[in-house]
Amino acid sequence: MNTADDHEPALAEALVHLADTLVDDYDVIDLLDRLTEYCVRLLPIDAAGLVLSDQRGHLRVVSSSTEQAQVMELFQLEADEGPCLDSFHTGEPVTAPDLHEPTEQWPRFAEHAVHAGFRSVHALPMRLRNETIGALNLFRTEPGTLAQTDLRIGQALADMATIGILHEQTIRRADVLAEQLQGALNSRVIIEQAKGVLSGRSQLDLAQAFTLLRNHSRNTNQRLSDLALSVITDRTAADLLLHPTIHPRRSHRDGDQP
Amino acid sequence: MTDLDRLNVLLRSIVAEGGADGPRRIGAACVELLPVAGSAITLMTGTDAQEPVYASDAVVSQLDALQFSLGEGPCVEAFAERRPVLITDLAEVADGRWPMFAHAARDTPVRGLFVFPLQLGAITVGVLDLYRLEPGGLAGDGLAGALRAADAALWSLLGLRAGETLNTTTNGTGSKDLPGWLSGAPLHRSEVYQATGMIIGQLDVTAAIALAKLRGFAFAHDRPIDEVARDVVARRLQFDDEELG
Repeated sequence: MNTADDHEPALAEALVHLADTLVDDYDVIDLLDRLTEYCVRLLPIDAAGLVLSDQRGHLRVVSSSTEQAQVMELFQLEADEGPCLDSFHTGEPVTAPDLHEPTEQWPRFAEHAVHAGFRSVHALPMRLRNETIGALNLFRTEPGTLAQTDLRIGQALADMATIGILHEQTIRRADVLAEQLQGALNSRVIIEQAKGVLSGRSQLDLAQAFTLLRNHSRNTNQRLSDLALSVITDRTAADLLLHPTIHPRRSHRDGDQP
Repeated sequence: MTDLDRLNVLLRSIVAEGGADGPRRIGAACVELLPVAGSAITLMTGTDAQEPVYASDAVVSQLDALQFSLGEGPCVEAFAERRPVLITDLAEVADGRWPMFAHAARDTPVRGLFVFPLQLGAITVGVLDLYRLEPGGLAGDGLAGALRAADAALWSLLGLRAGETLNTTTNGTGSKDLPGWLSGAPLHRSEVYQATGMIIGQLDVTAAIALAKLRGFAFAHDRPIDEVARDVVARRLQFDDEELG
């Protein structure tokens, strides 16, 4: 397990990488995916997930350190009940140090979290001026509260996600938040659809399909959301991912239009 | 009851009732219950291929015609970039962002212009645009209402397009998934997106057709769509040519 002292080099590397990303033309969903990965690498936690407001009154899962179905399910459940929703509503961090303790606040959430193997959870708000736009979830298999240093690093990563959603160059334009949030949420839908396509055309499960998608996007330097879209709209792109050595037969689906 | 509540109730019933006048009723509901002067809904098959299905007045239809003839503007951008384009004041749009459109738009009385893509992941069917005669943003309830109207327009248009599929497989009454686009569940559950993808992979069809198949199956078997989606994802239910009907 990491402590504040020994993860300093990793923290520096993460900061450098994220700063590099933010000055380039980057893919928001890809950035958020990397952020949840960094959470697990930098903090003594076992899973991390980001949920964003859909601006219609609900929270939606946008990235997760693991695509394991049970964990994703848990993040989804948190749209209705749990520390993330509370943190989103109050704009404050929310902690549940021991989910084995009976809870009146979120009985359904606690039951599912324990079933998924977790014992404690922290939720950190994603704040922007006087608005909260989402929350970062940190799950542990051990009970207890995270150290202050770790919580501050977690909050810095949550803030980085907020900054990432608001492209730096457009931050002065008034309505950019809604444009970016909606764009990020739709990218997540595209990724879920693409996971389905890859899984439907092979024996891979959805988590494996996501790993394939993510690795290919990184190895070929393609934006994750662009690659996901091409997997959905172009059979050749899906076949190339699944069977990189076999020369695919050329086949294009028609556009997704009436 | 707030205007947002009223809009939600109205949108829900419009989508549930279906029918060819859905888009017109949704556009009219926006003008009535949102802080906007006019609205339009346009079907799009590409940034250069579009068909207006509703315009509340001549101002907005001119504004849309202008964008599509110039091939640039917020509607074209929202569709291509798959995210809303929200302009608080057309008179203040920076030169260089749609130079021809911004110049021509200054001859119209439109100041605030808010365009929402009608989309679900890879599925994009068109745009909803709303305008105001005064500058200013669309915040809070106004934004939430506009997003829900865009969701409703999407489902209305998908319903019309998938009408054939649904009518042949429906037992008539099943519409369990319809409130879903308003409540956030079950149509916004990942399983529904994943299952849509699985069906694309299995049948080699477009995302819109795959979603229609999933909905059609749920209707026909009178089951909630998220439950059917879970079966698809767990490979307990396979869509093959027999399901094509």
